[in-house]
Amino acid sequence: MFRKKMTVSVSTLVPDQAIDEVPPPPRSGKPRRREGSAFLAVPALVWYLVFMIGPLAAMFVISLLNWPSIIAPGTWAGLGNFQRLFNDPTFWHAFGNTMLQLVIVLPLMIPLAFMAGYYLSLRPRGHRILSVLFFTPGLISVSTKAMMFFGILSPRGALNGLLQALGLDHLATAWLADPATALGCIIAVDLWSGIGYTAVLFSARLSSISGETYEAAKLDGATQWRIMWQIAFPIVKDFVGVTTMLQFLWTLFNSATIVLLLTKGGPGDASITLSYFVYDKAFISSQVGYSQAAGVVVFIVGLIGMILIRRLIRARD
Amino acid sequence: MRLSRFSIGRLFAGAAVWFYALLLIIPVYYLLVSSVKSNTQIFADPFGLPTTWEFSNFPEAFDRVDLGSALLSSATITGFAEIVTLLLAIPAAHGLARAQGKLGAVMERIFALGFLIPGFAALVPTILLAIAMKLYGNPLFLILFFPATAMPLSVILLAQFIRSIPPEIEEAAQMDGAGRLKTLVRVIIPMAAPGIATVAILNFLGFWNEYLFSLLILAPNPSLRTVQVALPVLVTQQSADYGLLAAGILMTLAPVYLLYLLLQRQMENALIDGALK
Repeated sequence: MFRKKMTVSVSTLVPDQAIDEVPPPPRSGKPRRREGSAFLAVPALVWYLVFMIGPLAAMFVISLLNWPSIIAPGTWAGLGNFQRLFNDPTFWHAFGNTMLQLVIVLPLMIPLAFMAGYYLSLRPRGHRILSVLFFTPGLISVSTKAMMFFGILSPRGALNGLLQALGLDHLATAWLADPATALGCIIAVDLWSGIGYTAVLFSARLSSISGETYEAAKLDGATQWRIMWQIAFPIVKDFVGVTTMLQFLWTLFNSATIVLLLTKGGPGDASITLSYFVYDKAFISSQVGYSQAAGVVVFIVGLIGMILIRRLIRARD
Repeated sequence: MRLSRFSIGRLFAGAAVWFYALLLIIPVYYLLVSSVKSNTQIFADPFGLPTTWEFSNFPEAFDRVDLGSALLSSATITGFAEIVTLLLAIPAAHGLARAQGKLGAVMERIFALGFLIPGFAALVPTILLAIAMKLYGNPLFLILFFPATAMPLSVILLAQFIRSIPPEIEEAAQMDGAGRLKTLVRVIIPMAAPGIATVAILNFLGFWNEYLFSLLILAPNPSLRTVQVALPVLVTQQSADYGLLAAGILMTLAPVYLLYLLLQRQMENALIDGALK
């Protein structure tokens, strides 16, 4: 109602109070000073822009530079980095691995987590213990997780020990050093911790559905399976969509850490992913501009992926 | 009214869920027993109880990667980053919660979009920024940078909390002559305390567990490395001692799990709120 910017000091407000009483908008006391209060968010916004959006914008510029090392200045390269990138078999290998990772992780994790979350939301016996167990991997840092699995997957670690105990010695291998299994290990670690944690989130969301909704369906003779997919799922569908998007971004961008700690992309480049490719080019091969060209591609893949997931969720309405 | 066709599916679901739970427990069990074994014992019998208890793994791992100074470094960075975050986010959230103009809506929108920008996306330019600020190798950069990564979630969650506080209470305080700052400190902060606790817990986990930026920013200064960066050093040396590693992992996990034991409910709610809102 008051377009001009108002001063915010309390002393000026008090006398204005009486004049202000014209028609108060519903559910809000004093509209006058409210325009101004948004300015309180400026420091936080500036902070965010300087440390997050600024570097992100810089990435696009750097991708056009020839930058031999992190401390040396760069020279103009135009689109040369991109040209090189699209002709680099390692890049395409990383691209393929990341796609494989996404195509395995998302369709497995989201439905399994939804089903487990639905099960937990029915409060079966032991659901408290299950929730705690499912939840705690969310507390473990990526580096700790990586070190746990470094021990478990090492040639004489827990997994091979277990296989031996089960008489399946022939399946035992050096999991992280075998080109056939290295990428699989990276994917397995993601699934191991992600399914449970996501399930707890889904179960929290599902517990807001009243039991009566289910009872009515049961009386109609619907099976638990149908209740889960045709009643519970549509209610939390939007949330499932958001979770899928976040998991997609997490898998796409954050695999660098776990790859760095478990396999360094190896053996050879068997387990190299897009985000590890960016890391490797910048900090190991010292090709900063080149790495950022790959960074731009990852960013665009992220955008396209999000649009696709959004479409997919909307299309099922 | 338990029909049999319900229970078959339920039985199967129960079995699947408990099987997965077992997959989560086994690594923890393996860690616990390994932490008091020598390499030879681990290799000979990975799941058996130790025949001789090698408690020396703990002090040895602690000394080898200088976990004491790493804990101090992690605590300092996490603590100060947390303070900076809250100092910026609380007034911002208050402002946005009470703003009704377009400006506030636009700013909130920008923060909301921030959820979708992972920190890793700008990893390399962020390191370059640290170099340009002459803060490469300096934990101060992490103290300044971490709050930016936490800002979207902190501001949006807190704004939602503050919106649930009736504005009349604030107005009453202001009629009594309290200034904006006083209202914030005396009225808003106490009433939004559960929200602030949620945000503080989420940020604690995020900052304490961060690895890649800490690794790179503190690379020139190994004596200042954080716990997360120190732990993997146990295996980058040529010979990996798995007993030592297990002991190191348990010690790294201890602070977070201790906090979880103390604040179990709040922590679960925080992580769930952070994801659901």
